[in-house]
Amino acid sequence: MAFLELQGLTKLYNHFVAVSNFDLKVDKGSFVSLLGPSGCGKTTTLQMIAGFTEPSSGSIFLNGKDLSNIPARKRGLGIVFQSYALFMHMTVAENVAFGLEMRKIDRSERDRRVADTLELVHLAHLADRYPVAMSGGQRQRVALARALVIEPELLLLDEPLSNLDAKLREEMQLELRRIQQEAGVTTVMVTHDQSEAMALSDSVVVMENGKIRQEATPFDVYETPTSPFVSNFLGKSNNMRAELISQTPDGAIVECNGIRLESDPVSLPQGPVVVAIRPERIEIASSATDIPGRVTERVFLGSQWLLKVETGLGELLVTRRNTGHREAAPGDQVFLNWDRRHLRILPVEQKVSRT
Amino acid sequence: MKPNGSFAKLFSVLFALFMLAPIIVVVGVSFTPTGYLEFPPSGISLRWFREILNHPDFIAAGWVSLKLGFASACVATVLSLPAALAIGRGRFRGREALQSLFLSPLMVPTVVLGIAFLRFLTLVGLNGTFFGLMLCHAIIITPFILRLVLAAVIGLDRSVEMAATSLGASGWTVFRRITLPAIIPGVIGGWVLAFITSFDELTVTVFIVDPSTTTLPVRLFSHISQTTDPLVASISTVAILFTVVLMLFVDRLYGLDRLLIGEGKR
Repeated sequence: MAFLELQGLTKLYNHFVAVSNFDLKVDKGSFVSLLGPSGCGKTTTLQMIAGFTEPSSGSIFLNGKDLSNIPARKRGLGIVFQSYALFMHMTVAENVAFGLEMRKIDRSERDRRVADTLELVHLAHLADRYPVAMSGGQRQRVALARALVIEPELLLLDEPLSNLDAKLREEMQLELRRIQQEAGVTTVMVTHDQSEAMALSDSVVVMENGKIRQEATPFDVYETPTSPFVSNFLGKSNNMRAELISQTPDGAIVECNGIRLESDPVSLPQGPVVVAIRPERIEIASSATDIPGRVTERVFLGSQWLLKVETGLGELLVTRRNTGHREAAPGDQVFLNWDRRHLRILPVEQKVSRT
Repeated sequence: MKPNGSFAKLFSVLFALFMLAPIIVVVGVSFTPTGYLEFPPSGISLRWFREILNHPDFIAAGWVSLKLGFASACVATVLSLPAALAIGRGRFRGREALQSLFLSPLMVPTVVLGIAFLRFLTLVGLNGTFFGLMLCHAIIITPFILRLVLAAVIGLDRSVEMAATSLGASGWTVFRRITLPAIIPGVIGGWVLAFITSFDELTVTVFIVDPSTTTLPVRLFSHISQTTDPLVASISTVAILFTVVLMLFVDRLYGLDRLLIGEGKR
């Protein structure tokens, strides 16, 4: 049995299916993200693991123990909330010491562990401050220290970085990863931010409508999404409706708006499909071959350019690394091509009902 | 109108004067050396403050009002705290009705309340007792506390309590160590507001006092219906001073703006 195991976890609110038959295995010491749009059931799942929401059915096992009949306060989990949920009337050290105090750990050991944990999150110098006098990033670290000091078997993070501004968020991503690895604590994070999930996790669980859509390493989810939803949710993707017309052992051919495209072999039945290509995999060709198009918009993003190109396939997003030269301008005629192995052929989405 | 233009400043000054004028007049009159109400006073004298000491009935009434305010504010706080917690975060049937019930003393005309209380106290045999008076005041001032505590409870982030629970705190520990400290500004603010409301309540009280439980406002009211000497002004000045000291004390403790505006978080 894996260190953390969710088996058929389901939560119904009246007839609304918040989480449906959720199975997950998490290895000891690894970092798993539940990623999905708001309302996909990821927070409900976290709340069930934490013990704040009772599952309608299914079970949760942590380190071999069934958590079903253990109340939240006895599960011994470390939780970092989106709002940080700091105790504003206590100093940083008092915040961090709270969990140890509840465990009746004696004064000298408590002080030592608080000091060690504040050291870990680089806040030792602010131990006597009140949270009100701290920045968002510092509060975040206090919340993390407070959760880690009790040496939890499992760390739960609920959108931990979403209240930070963009620059700080990137710094904290690296910091969070370092702290998690130093503490060696098994971690489940809930987020709607795909870059956060990719940067931090060993494994990403993409959720939609209370169900798991795909579970894999960040690289595999990005490179080989199994559905148009996942390909769109992680990174940018040009998704187009097409028809799978022939398959051979060396490749497949799809037709999109009357244009034939080749791809690597796929195992899908002939018929309607979605073809997906990442904007950064599209090249602008020097010769007049392949797919002609006209640039309609151009946005400069610093490290790269974002182009919108009107083609026979429809409007395609193309990103180009900024190499110090001016990129094609709106109105310019360009020719696009790509390596056929970058073209993904995906099944058409089924609409799912949640009641 | 520019926010800091001279016209706006003039308006602010006039508005402040309008608010303060009655208090300035009362305080001014209380220092008069003459035997009648005059403003501005023709001299400065503490004659009418010394005169208070010759009226043990006023001093007794003052004590009754203090004790009454203190006791009724405490009773109303003890009632309002669980009510506010339930109304502020519960999702049960009749929640709105319960809230309206607790706030209803604000909506019922005080004269009606006075007559109702008189009838009711006579019925249960508490008429003319301090205890009966205290219960009536507790009912009248409950809305003031409830509203402030409710604002604090609603402003409270539930995840703070969840965090404490996840760290191993029991329900009672969470309340004592986390919830109560977070809403205490609202509770204290409500208590002070309730105390002051009880301290100067007149309309309802006139119906239900008897000579042994006469409060200061009732005593002042009956005094000015007979004579108009500056004694009422000097007693009012003492009451104003007392209120100011109370407010300053609370301000030093928790910040007055936070209490009266009802901001729950620091």
